[in-house]
Amino acid sequence: MDLGALVACFASPACVVTQASSGLIVGLLLFLVAAGLTLIFGVLKIVNFAHGTFYMLGAYIAYSVLQATNSYGLAVLAAAAAMAVFGVAFERFLIARVYGGNVLMQLLICYAVVLIFDDLVKLVWGADFHAMGMPEAFQRAPIFIAGGVVPPFYAGLIVLSLCLAALLGLGLGFTRMGKIITAAAQNPQMVAALGINTTALFALVFGLGGGLAGLAGALAAPVRSLSPGMGFSILIESFIITVIGGMGSIAGALLTAIGYGLLRGFGTIGFPLFTDELIYAAMILVLLLRPSGLFGREIV
Amino acid sequence: MTKHDVKNNDKTKPGLGRRAVLATGVTGALAIPFLARGAGNVLRIGVPTVLSGPIALLGTSSRNALLLEADRINAASGLAGRKIELVFEDGKAQPQETARVARELVNTGGCELLIDATPSSGAFAVQEVVRDLGVLCIHTCSETSSLTADPKLRAPTAFRCARQGVHDSIAGGAYLAQFANAHKFNKWATCSPDYAYGRDTTAQFLDFFRHFKPDIELVTQAWPKLGQPDFTEVITKLIQARPQALFTLLYAGDLSAFINQGNVYALFKAMTVCTPNVDYPVLSAIKNIPDGIQSGTRYFEEFPPLPANKAWSEAYRKRFGQYPTNWAWQNAAAMMFLEAAAKKAGTSDGKTLVGVLSGLTIDCPFGTNGKITMREDHTIIDYAIGWGRTIAKPPYIADIKPADWGQIIELETAWKKQLGYI
Amino acid sequence: MNGLWRDSGVALAALVLLLGAPLAFSSPAFEDFIIRLSALALFATSLNLLVGGSGMISFGHGLFYGFGAYAFALLMQRTTLSLASAVLLTLFLAALVALLVGAVCIRLKTIYFAFVTLAIQMLFYSVIISWVSLTGGDQGLQGGIPRRVIAGIDINQQGHLYQFCAVLLVAGLFAMRHITASPFGMTLRMIRDNEARAAFLGIPLWRPKLAIFVLAGVFAALGGILASLFVSGAYPEFADWPFSGQAIFAVMLGGIDSFLGPLAGSAILLALNDIFTRLTEYHGLVQGVVILLFALGLRRGVLDFLRVLPGRGEVASR
Repeated sequence: MDLGALVACFASPACVVTQASSGLIVGLLLFLVAAGLTLIFGVLKIVNFAHGTFYMLGAYIAYSVLQATNSYGLAVLAAAAAMAVFGVAFERFLIARVYGGNVLMQLLICYAVVLIFDDLVKLVWGADFHAMGMPEAFQRAPIFIAGGVVPPFYAGLIVLSLCLAALLGLGLGFTRMGKIITAAAQNPQMVAALGINTTALFALVFGLGGGLAGLAGALAAPVRSLSPGMGFSILIESFIITVIGGMGSIAGALLTAIGYGLLRGFGTIGFPLFTDELIYAAMILVLLLRPSGLFGREIV
Repeated sequence: MTKHDVKNNDKTKPGLGRRAVLATGVTGALAIPFLARGAGNVLRIGVPTVLSGPIALLGTSSRNALLLEADRINAASGLAGRKIELVFEDGKAQPQETARVARELVNTGGCELLIDATPSSGAFAVQEVVRDLGVLCIHTCSETSSLTADPKLRAPTAFRCARQGVHDSIAGGAYLAQFANAHKFNKWATCSPDYAYGRDTTAQFLDFFRHFKPDIELVTQAWPKLGQPDFTEVITKLIQARPQALFTLLYAGDLSAFINQGNVYALFKAMTVCTPNVDYPVLSAIKNIPDGIQSGTRYFEEFPPLPANKAWSEAYRKRFGQYPTNWAWQNAAAMMFLEAAAKKAGTSDGKTLVGVLSGLTIDCPFGTNGKITMREDHTIIDYAIGWGRTIAKPPYIADIKPADWGQIIELETAWKKQLGYI
Repeated sequence: MNGLWRDSGVALAALVLLLGAPLAFSSPAFEDFIIRLSALALFATSLNLLVGGSGMISFGHGLFYGFGAYAFALLMQRTTLSLASAVLLTLFLAALVALLVGAVCIRLKTIYFAFVTLAIQMLFYSVIISWVSLTGGDQGLQGGIPRRVIAGIDINQQGHLYQFCAVLLVAGLFAMRHITASPFGMTLRMIRDNEARAAFLGIPLWRPKLAIFVLAGVFAALGGILASLFVSGAYPEFADWPFSGQAIFAVMLGGIDSFLGPLAGSAILLALNDIFTRLTEYHGLVQGVVILLFALGLRRGVLDFLRVLPGRGEVASR
């Protein structure tokens, strides 16, 4: 524990800006993954344990598209679109068969998919790790804010993620489709009785969730290492965030993810060895005191 | 059970057929492992290794090197006249699975010896199996010194043909002390993965570093988790601590991510990064390796600058389409040791080979002076350890200085005495 | 009473078969398989006491398995307790831990109960990794378990370890069977099927739930003890949550509604693992496909599928 260093950091604007922004990056990328997970649980009541696979495939697809076309924008769009389609397929062909069954059967299917795709990725891209490298457009010097360092790529990511969060929130709250999705989360039978095609709706939600995870993978790929099985750690972290934030709540996922990122950012200075234990303890506390999460709705 | 239920248990229902088929199938499948295989003129060598997960490269490159050497030896006269057959099995980097695999290879797989190509935790598990079964085993990927140094952990038929953490720490400490003195770098930081190897080896390195240069100031230490995808907050913390140089034990995918993420923050302009781990996989993953990283050579085809080394690397590249790794040379050397021992003893019997291997010196393209010795404490010395700096063009590492083995052994002995191993 | 006689008969027959097998044919691989199976089957069956028997879905059951392995291995390494004493003390400590954990978690509803058990297990795992001086950290306990002789049984010898595990497997399963077939088990099934109705009948829900949680923890710890004997140590993987997943899969593959389902599922999982790992390096791919076939094709566990369920109202033959 190094509380002295932590206090010194809070006293210095440069440190605050640097650590806060680096924490925000970690948090916001996690938010994109967690948003998909929480949406899927909120509407379909399915815990998508294969969510890390969407992230991994998104990263690899972006890597290959960048190699082929040298356009990062295209790579990101391709990854998101591919994962949206994969999400729909996953829901239609696999998950739909075990609706209403034991949650453990869904878990079993997700696990099988994770196993299969970890090996498929190894087959196609090889067992060794890859690095995408920073796209040329972003190879610039860091920006300095109040003496703190913020790389342009990360600044761009922060802005993009916040915009996406706003889009999701507004979309769900104010568009017709968004309201239907929210309604289906609360009472799917009634929504179906009103003549809405819930089958298509569920597929759409899964597609949206998958697409978000794939997008996150593509956005993170320039700086992270790609290897088979990279979805595992992302899954745990995003799962913790959705549980604390509240399954089904985008706002909850956003705030918790940002909080988690900031905890990591400043924790690495003040208490680097305890961040994991703190997160688990927080998760336990939330579950005991307010099981549906900080912003979640009670599951009926 | 009521009368109604009796009807449902009627044996003429098709369910019985289904049941019988399933039962037979399952029993048949379960029986497969228990059919032991014969020996004959083939020498089966079992290789528990890691072929899946984040460290799969360790297993695949070990396998490549073993196949290369086995084919070469078989094309000659084999091992004491017997053809080598390698049996690879994936321990998934889980110790209990690795132990199971090792036992199975010996007990039912007909393997007479083991070449254990698993990382540290798996190697300790295999060590227990080897202790139990008494087979000859060469560990080729575990760098943890205590495997052979600690008398409590040592097993009489187990050897290690791999670099050792303590040797690397001494060599690294000596080289970096010289480097630090030349550039007047007194402020250092460390960033290593938070697990046994990372912690122990970093502490060891600092010990020896301070031995060579006592006036070091450690401004901060960072301990990211192994396999952590994002090092950003660690990088920014390091930049703000303003060391003149950074020592890091991150490796493979983690090092690659760290370098990419560090570039974003211009980390390499802010401090000199020193690591033993810039090897070919890292070099091929990163398109623009920053200039001036001080790095050890885990495997490098230009060092030792022997023609045999270059030739071996070219043969490896031609067959497998990628550069050899540190694990590759270690496995190749293990096969070379077996070859030499079998030739000297005139037999491939494991028990005899154990006696012959201990103290054996062989010609080897990976030895500092073309030779490597398997010491009496069952671990190798005189293998090539070099340190140099990265440059932006091939061969990517330049100005490589070899380590002083006399110095290494002297300090290693003192370290063993200090820990009560001898 | 009929059920008890029948179960005892089955248990005795199984014991005779298992103990007699090495006399008929010698196969270290078979013995290894049974030893590993005994650990996993006890673990999976104990989980099914919660999942299938009481409707309590726990994602973090591996906590007790890992605790059993570490506690036992540490006791054997650091004290001079005999094998039997170490086993009993470990089970007692596991019961205490289960009591503490259960007291905190029981009142949560299904999916949240699953999440909180998982979180507690993850916390336990991270403590194991951090507390290097006690547990050896990520490398696990090294140096092996000192092999002791108990009542003429030297577990250093493969054969004796095999018999030790076979006996504990049959005994453990028999004990758990006794629990599920008893009125206590019936109460739990009633709670599983309709908690509100059970409450209206005047049953204080927390008591049987806590009791079965503790019992399940104890049997899981027993499985952990056997695992630690097999590897002569203890590894953090035993307490990592993917391992809890293994038990869940064994239960689902074998059959959640059959008492021997988890045993069958464990055997299938282990056999598939062994076969696929031997055949190919892409064992994940093959295993995943096979699991999908089971899950989508059979839609329930193997024993559930084979056993033609005689309709509603059937109670004791589970």
